[in-house]
Amino acid sequence: MFEAPVLSLSNITVAFGALKAVHDVSLKLRLGERRAVLGPNGAGKTTLFNAITGSTRASSGRVVFEGVDMTRMSPQRRAHLGVARTFQITNLFAELSVLENMRLAARGLSWRKFSLMGRDRLSHTEAAQVEAALAASHLVGREATVVREMSYGEQRQLEVAMALVGTPRMLLLDEPAAGLSPAERTHVAAIIRNLPRNLTVVLIEHDMDLALGLVDSVTVMQNGRVIVEAAPDEIRNHPLVQEVYLGKPHGVGEAEQEGRANAHTV
Amino acid sequence: MIRILSPVLIGIAALAPLVLPTYFVSVATQILIFAVLAMAVDLLAGFTGRTPLCHGAIFGTSAYVTIYAASVVGWPIGLAMLTGILAATCLAMVFGLLAVRTSGVYFLLLTLALGLIVWGVCLRWTEITGGENGLRAQLREDLGLSTRQLYVAVLVTVLCATAAMWRLVRSPFGLTMRGIKEGEGRMASLGYDVTLHLLIAFTASGFFAGVAGALYAVFNDFASPSIVQLSSSVQGLLMAIVGGVGTLFGGFVGAFVIIAMEQTVSAFTERWPTVLGLTFILMMIFAPEGVVGKARLLLKR
Amino acid sequence: MTKLLTSRRSLLKSSAAAAGAIGMPSLVRAADAARPIRIGLLAPLTGVIAAGGKELVEGFQMYWEQVGMMAGTRKVEIVIEDDASNPDTALQKARRLVEQANVDFLFGNILANTGLAVANYVKNTGTPYFIPVIAADDLTQRTRIPNVIRVAGYTASQTAHPLGDWAYKQGYRHVATISQDYTFGHEQCGGFAQVFTEAGGKIVQQFWHPLNTSDFSSYLGQLVTAGADAIFAMETGADSTRFIQQYASFGLKGRIPLLGSMNATDQSVIRTMGADAEGIISCAHFAEGSTDPVTVKFVADYEKRYQKLPSIYGFSHYSGAMWVDEALGKIRGNVEDRALFLKTVLATELVGSPLGKTVKLDAYGNPVYDVMVRKVVKRPDGKLWNEPFETYPQVSQFWKYDPETYMKQPPYSRTFQGIKA
Repeated sequence: MFEAPVLSLSNITVAFGALKAVHDVSLKLRLGERRAVLGPNGAGKTTLFNAITGSTRASSGRVVFEGVDMTRMSPQRRAHLGVARTFQITNLFAELSVLENMRLAARGLSWRKFSLMGRDRLSHTEAAQVEAALAASHLVGREATVVREMSYGEQRQLEVAMALVGTPRMLLLDEPAAGLSPAERTHVAAIIRNLPRNLTVVLIEHDMDLALGLVDSVTVMQNGRVIVEAAPDEIRNHPLVQEVYLGKPHGVGEAEQEGRANAHTV
Repeated sequence: MIRILSPVLIGIAALAPLVLPTYFVSVATQILIFAVLAMAVDLLAGFTGRTPLCHGAIFGTSAYVTIYAASVVGWPIGLAMLTGILAATCLAMVFGLLAVRTSGVYFLLLTLALGLIVWGVCLRWTEITGGENGLRAQLREDLGLSTRQLYVAVLVTVLCATAAMWRLVRSPFGLTMRGIKEGEGRMASLGYDVTLHLLIAFTASGFFAGVAGALYAVFNDFASPSIVQLSSSVQGLLMAIVGGVGTLFGGFVGAFVIIAMEQTVSAFTERWPTVLGLTFILMMIFAPEGVVGKARLLLKR
Repeated sequence: MTKLLTSRRSLLKSSAAAAGAIGMPSLVRAADAARPIRIGLLAPLTGVIAAGGKELVEGFQMYWEQVGMMAGTRKVEIVIEDDASNPDTALQKARRLVEQANVDFLFGNILANTGLAVANYVKNTGTPYFIPVIAADDLTQRTRIPNVIRVAGYTASQTAHPLGDWAYKQGYRHVATISQDYTFGHEQCGGFAQVFTEAGGKIVQQFWHPLNTSDFSSYLGQLVTAGADAIFAMETGADSTRFIQQYASFGLKGRIPLLGSMNATDQSVIRTMGADAEGIISCAHFAEGSTDPVTVKFVADYEKRYQKLPSIYGFSHYSGAMWVDEALGKIRGNVEDRALFLKTVLATELVGSPLGKTVKLDAYGNPVYDVMVRKVVKRPDGKLWNEPFETYPQVSQFWKYDPETYMKQPPYSRTFQGIKA
């Protein structure tokens, strides 16, 4: 790893009162790298995502993206720098159509969003981007559908499509396959696998099998700390990982910081 | 069918008051003016999900400034109205700066408090506002407009304002507002400055409330603290809700229903606010989406 | 709609009395003669001054009942609308009465802001509007509207002027005032302060409190230390009740003499009060405790009809109705000729007034009265009332000033009290 990292986290701590949801985490991603972040519930994965995207500010430490220190930047500033994310709990505009969701995503970085009297149309480039993102997410033909009326799987696909439309430089996927049927998972996995190779991707996933098949490297977290960083093929047999996932759970009384459903935990 | 029929029906409804006795022309004028206020409220309540309780104050400020500029300073009425609208817009911007970072019940209470400040100022700053006696003028007389001519002038202005608001909610910015209503956090992560957009929406909404206020000044020839007080803001909001939040045109229906009801019920009983309250409760139980909202749902079926 | 409105809303139904129409002078066209005179009565039946509004209607109603619902030789129909103590509602209802119910003239309102809103409206329509209670000085002074006449009414400062004079003559040299903070209060205090200071007295301090003040303790504390020989309190309604009670319970009663504005000790206030109110001095043109036989009869009739003593609201609308009726009698009910009607009302001297004296209007449409200095005393039956003990004859709204000169000074306000240093 000789080239300058795309994303560099140094000694990130996120504290909620006395609780340190993320504790002294450092990691580096290179351009085009695909990284999975694994760990049990409450390990601090989503909080780490929030610290990267700005939804939550890091209590200490630094977040540097493509050489720019964005530790204290607002989420929208970070979005302008090319950081896109999906949400673990589906966070779409439920009463709007697929196309309207895509428009909002496409326009987030353009001045056109301030047009008070203009027509609600996309520019040619934006339209092309939307089309490409919908194609990449297998949603072509669903443009007019109101999100509320779509299946959960399709909503997850739209999450990805919206994150892709602004041609981000880094994409953070927070459990994109959570709650999906096995068939839908395969579908989402294919979408992720086919993402452009120059896009840096960070993936939180509970399904280890799914995650390991998609990424170049893996970070395993527990109780807010990074406990293992390794290549996918080393992970499965790593004693610490086995302990976390199969052995004695550490998590008794562990704070449920991320408020997630447990149903699909491996 | 509906596409052909509705413009015809709207045209008839808009011109019908001209053949009625002058009193009903006045009532119709009032309905049009309050429809604009209700739509201005709806811009915020229905499209950004922020329910304001200060629009009566913004509306009233415009009326006060219009009357003051025309009758005390002696400016031409057109200029006075523009000044009133500008004052309302600036006031809305200040309110917006203070309020848009909050949401839900906090937004409601903060805007309520801001409205009360305006009411207090109008009541106490007697030298300028005339205190509880208010300000009076003869704008309609000065313009030389009969009741029917005034109705037509108001109708034209209201249609322009409505077209502008319709354009606004169908614009890219309109989609942004709806996006903010649906998911503020998501909007931020997509690169939107939610606070800034809400401020713009609040200011635009204040502009339209100001248009309604300037028209009201000419219609009423009179501004007193009672038009900036809380009940005035509540009335604008009720009209928006009765018509259907998020439907925009519901403002016309809401203003019509509430003013027509006030007119008819108050002829029978002094307790008309009670009747209004009961109607509102029934409405919230059986058609919380408002008249236009309910109609849309039924048409879809 | 109009018909429906009338039949539902009229408190008073015109009694048939078609016989009265016979022998109608040719002056009145036949069609008009057949039509009753229709009066629009605006009263605050809901809102802050609803109690006063009901008394207003009672007084008005009592007069027309006594004359058999006839004015001149025409039947009278009264359409009542509630102004809700709110100027915008008042304006809207005035519009309804004029444009929809087609009334011949308007009557009523209590709160100055409602009266001013309606007056501004009739300025354009030319509808005659009679205001026995709306006291806003300028309506018959600087911003007079020819078709707005204060029959049986008074300006706010009219009865306060003589009280200022009386106070000085009692030997009071330092007076503190406390008043409700709105125009009616500013004008009454101003009237008192101007005359009192011009005589040589000194206003040591003025307190303005918001309407509906429930706790006067902070003001009372300051009034004690203000160094006043007497205190002038301008209060109305529930504020007045509370102020007088707290004045007594803080031990000021008996220590510092209390002078009240005419509304402060009106029947609408003292009717429900006890010893706390006894002894308060005020000035007014009407005193229910007067020994004048005409007044005694009016008060007895009123008490019989409504089981209470008349307040200023009831008295004024009774007298106001009589005034307009006397004028209509002179022109044989020809209310259609507005110019003639207004001119006649202005020229009419109210002979039958319950005051027992003839009352006339000044050149500005405001009555000139013998103003009485009154004291709240207990009647033998335990009821409180205002008994007059001194009279200032022929007091106009301009006191002893020249009208033109007087109107050159600004209207009384919180900042201008006419105080001579």
